Amino acid sequence: MPVQKKIAITALVPPELIYACGDETFDVNNVIPESKKYPRNKLCAWTAIWQEMLSKREINIDSLIVVAGGDCHNALVDGQKVAMSGIPTHFFFYPFDGSAEYLESQLLKLRDFLGGIKSPEKPGEIRELKDLGLEIDKKRAQGKLSSSDAFRILISFSDLAGDLDKFRETISSVRETDIEINNRIALIGVPPIYHDFHDVSQSLGLHVVFDELPYEFIRHSGTDIHQIARDYCNYTFARPLDFRIKFLQKELQKRKVDGVVHYTQFACHHMLEDDIMRSNLDYPMLTIQGDLPGNTPEQIKLRLEAFREALERS
Amino acid sequence: MIGLDVGSTTAKKVSIEDGKIKYQITGTHNWKDLIAGIDGKDIISTGYFRNTVPHRASVTEITAAIYGVRHYFPDADVIVDIGGQDTKVIDVRKNNFIINDKCSAGTGAFLEFVANYFKIELTEMGSYHGRAKRIPAINNTCGVFALSEMISQLVAGYTQEEVIAGMHYAFARRISFMIPEAESLVLIGGTVKNKGMVSALSYILKKEVLVPDEPQIVNALGALKYYS
Repeated sequence: MPVQKKIAITALVPPELIYACGDETFDVNNVIPESKKYPRNKLCAWTAIWQEMLSKREINIDSLIVVAGGDCHNALVDGQKVAMSGIPTHFFFYPFDGSAEYLESQLLKLRDFLGGIKSPEKPGEIRELKDLGLEIDKKRAQGKLSSSDAFRILISFSDLAGDLDKFRETISSVRETDIEINNRIALIGVPPIYHDFHDVSQSLGLHVVFDELPYEFIRHSGTDIHQIARDYCNYTFARPLDFRIKFLQKELQKRKVDGVVHYTQFACHHMLEDDIMRSNLDYPMLTIQGDLPGNTPEQIKLRLEAFREALERS
Repeated sequence: MIGLDVGSTTAKKVSIEDGKIKYQITGTHNWKDLIAGIDGKDIISTGYFRNTVPHRASVTEITAAIYGVRHYFPDADVIVDIGGQDTKVIDVRKNNFIINDKCSAGTGAFLEFVANYFKIELTEMGSYHGRAKRIPAINNTCGVFALSEMISQLVAGYTQEEVIAGMHYAFARRISFMIPEAESLVLIGGTVKNKGMVSALSYILKKEVLVPDEPQIVNALGALKYYS
């Protein structure tokens, strides 16, 4: 039986393909909110920390897939540093214009890097899990799940926690509850670097009913490369802003949100989008900025609390 | 019932007796003196330590500022609260706010650096500014680097008064980037007792700015008003 390799990803890479190639997916971002690292040379802490941990072999992986087009230049440079440290690295590019043909060619190159398809049934299994994810997302918006429980599951869909069977068990262990939602919040941008952010928001009276990026993790799928290319080509973070904004407008309306929290990461290019989001999304909006991982800092809590008071005044 | 604002550098207590506002201000480390003999159920708290001190209800400084300013200027569009460690700009019309606390350049701490350097009281800086004949350009927006630029201007021949005025302009310019267009702009917080800083900001924004009689107690008053 071939040995399953641990394939790390730096942003969303269709896990359907990685599992189909017989490998395990590992999203390097998932260890960062709990890490205590202070990277030496950093712009964005997300990429700087995974770069340092991978280069120093503090995380054991077999290969790395860097999302170089559709993510940021920080990832492109930090990915090259990891490659230079000796880890086999592949650079993956999403199309800006949404070309399914281009994405298919990228997926074919990735398939070759991973050594070819060995488990063609895996994408179908992943689709079933993603249907459960969509159900979790829906229940959360109805107040049947806490936003932190839902977030913990949804964020793990980028790599399906490395094991489809175990992840299925984790999903089924989530307990339903009954929450009265007063302030329905959409959290847009990259996920906060603070591991307790959803709990803190909820304790301050803000119930996150939409997590932008994790929603991308569950809404795309496909059972073969042709289909995967035609679905993932609409991954909003890789597309022009007007495409993403139209998508957000629809989702926010559907979820009847009262306000938007735009999380921005220090030295991340998404910071530059804040004024565009503010002028195009017609909701009260709070912008917060994080830098290093850890607990949600007091100054961020003040902003969240003041935002809740503002929503209750309006 | 009292409004209690325990901030990063000072603590303020406000009560309304026979329709008149009574207040007391002390250093944050002495905050307990303000509530001697007062039960927690009679305190509405605000400020950085609003949830640490005894209280019946707490409210953030942002909401407290809106209620407090409304008492003095009911038509205020924008409130700028310059605190010891951060500066908050509240757009009352849009129910929106931004807070600068990433660095000290736009906060009271910046002017404290300057006062400490010259070994003068913060309260004296306004009168020093008033005696300046020229205003040196201090371009650096980093508090620490601005201090070294300030020393260069002293060596270049500017007087202490002129350099202090230059620092007020550097400070005001930094804050002006955060302030939206407004008909009625109100400044609050202990720092705005410094008339030099207020006149520098008014000059940069090219508009009159409104300052309540006692700008430092507005949030404590607002906490009280919010609950009553």
